Amino acid sequence: MSAELRVSTPGRAAVTDLGRHRGPGVGLPVNGALDQYSARAANILVGNDESAALIEALAFDIAFVPTADILIAVTGADMVLTVDGAERPMWEPVPVAAGQLVALSDMVGGMRTYVAVHGSFDVPTLLDSCAPDPAVGFGTLFEADAAIALRQSTAAPVNPYFGLSLFNLGVDRPYLGDTAFIDVTDGPDIDEFAQTADVLFDAPYAVSTRSNQVGLRLTGTLPRRESTHEMISRGVPVGAVEVPPGDELLVLHRGRGVTAGYPVLAVVTSTSLDTLGQARPETAVTFRRVSLEQAARDARVWRERLDALRDRVATVFACLGVEAAAPASSGAGS
Amino acid sequence: MSAQIVVQPTGESAIRVVGSSGDREADWRVVHRIARAMTVPGIAGVHTAIPTYEAVLIEIDPERTTLAAVAAIAQAIAHEIDPDEPLLAEPREFVVPVLYGGQFGPDLTDVAATTGLSEEAVIAAHLAPTYVIRCLGAPGGSPMLDGPELPVTVPRLRSPRTHVPQGAVSLAGRQATITPTAAPGGWSLIGRTPLTVLDLDDESLVPYRPGDVLRFERIDEEQFSQLEGLRLAPLGAER
Repeated sequence: MSAELRVSTPGRAAVTDLGRHRGPGVGLPVNGALDQYSARAANILVGNDESAALIEALAFDIAFVPTADILIAVTGADMVLTVDGAERPMWEPVPVAAGQLVALSDMVGGMRTYVAVHGSFDVPTLLDSCAPDPAVGFGTLFEADAAIALRQSTAAPVNPYFGLSLFNLGVDRPYLGDTAFIDVTDGPDIDEFAQTADVLFDAPYAVSTRSNQVGLRLTGTLPRRESTHEMISRGVPVGAVEVPPGDELLVLHRGRGVTAGYPVLAVVTSTSLDTLGQARPETAVTFRRVSLEQAARDARVWRERLDALRDRVATVFACLGVEAAAPASSGAGS
Repeated sequence: MSAQIVVQPTGESAIRVVGSSGDREADWRVVHRIARAMTVPGIAGVHTAIPTYEAVLIEIDPERTTLAAVAAIAQAIAHEIDPDEPLLAEPREFVVPVLYGGQFGPDLTDVAATTGLSEEAVIAAHLAPTYVIRCLGAPGGSPMLDGPELPVTVPRLRSPRTHVPQGAVSLAGRQATITPTAAPGGWSLIGRTPLTVLDLDDESLVPYRPGDVLRFERIDEEQFSQLEGLRLAPLGAER
């Protein structure tokens, strides 16, 4: 029998990855993990390629039972992780024996939790990515009694000292509070807003409940477009800050439609997009203007942390004799 | 020879390249040629390109390249482009059968009222042109078409629909499109095609690309049910 995860409590979860980078060229949003740092860290913690398929769970409790011994790591929004009822740490590799119930419950901070499994999943891909695309009805979703195939049935070593934390890898965790600072660079159409552009930085905005993976809607004092000429549809980046008609600011996230006819006031930096991917409704968001150079420096800091984590994990796994995960298969189609 | 472009940074992971000749047709050809040069076969660190009318958004992986490097490549490509050369040497032609009005085109009556035309005159205007596919839009690679010629522009619906079925044939502003996949939408629905447009097993997802041409053909309910589920394919190809 091939190894699989059997879903006991589906919650609202799906198998995803870092996104469908070729999608926007053919009209599909990039999609993929909304908190890319946590997703990458989860995969690194189990020795996978950072772009390997993993579970993204939104807000609600989930539970599953593997049919083989596996090694998992849970990152992202704070939840209680239990294995057969025993609480286990997030942000560490956690061995799970075949038949044990893995449960995630009681999310207290953030919106999205990631579960990576050593060896990853065997799921269909579209343009080289397994990321769900609700618009075209693609994706591997957690559903009651579903079974999700694992790519590697070979056992990860199960820690014989259950209850003890085997690893102390010192992972930097993302910010998950109820106020957030979001860095933006000036957008290409900032002049359309004339002096009102700086209103963006005057006072905090509140994340609305109408936010999702397509974009976050924020209430507050809005910048106003001053020019009136007709705006032709153009490609818009993930992170675009727009002021559509109505009384909310729109910040596009990874599920955004790839073209839009609204001017781009500002663009959220990649590190702050991760923060927004964890922002709950009512979070107070304060925008800060940064230069492109600063944004690139901030991204590099997180990259160096991930690289250092990978090195530490490699050392630990070598000591423990954990075999490397097979490289992810490539190629589109299922 | 050599195309005029303006490059604008658009966040740390993308640049927007805008054709700046002032000639809309030439600018459209230029940005689509740049998009193709950036993605086929591909340049290291470039994820994809989203060309539209007079602009192309080029998305990069900042861990593998820089905005400055990609901007320089865009300028170099633009330097080599003849803005007058056709986008496609041999555009393919698509014929899209449409059942107009009724439950398949619930907004046809309103479009007629808005434009002051009869429903038949709206249909005739929609059938008249051979449309150039300008770009692919959301959701799922909708072909974005200029036109048809109507006395006034068709406004977007005041309250967008939460569900527009696949195959919907719609209008807004001075544009027309087909919806390859069910999605919310604010355009006016005037008809529906029975053909399947989106193919998730195909690398390009949709059978057409910018620069191909498309025209509509009127069908009745009997033809609709005969054609339902067949794939949209260029003239001369097997369905």
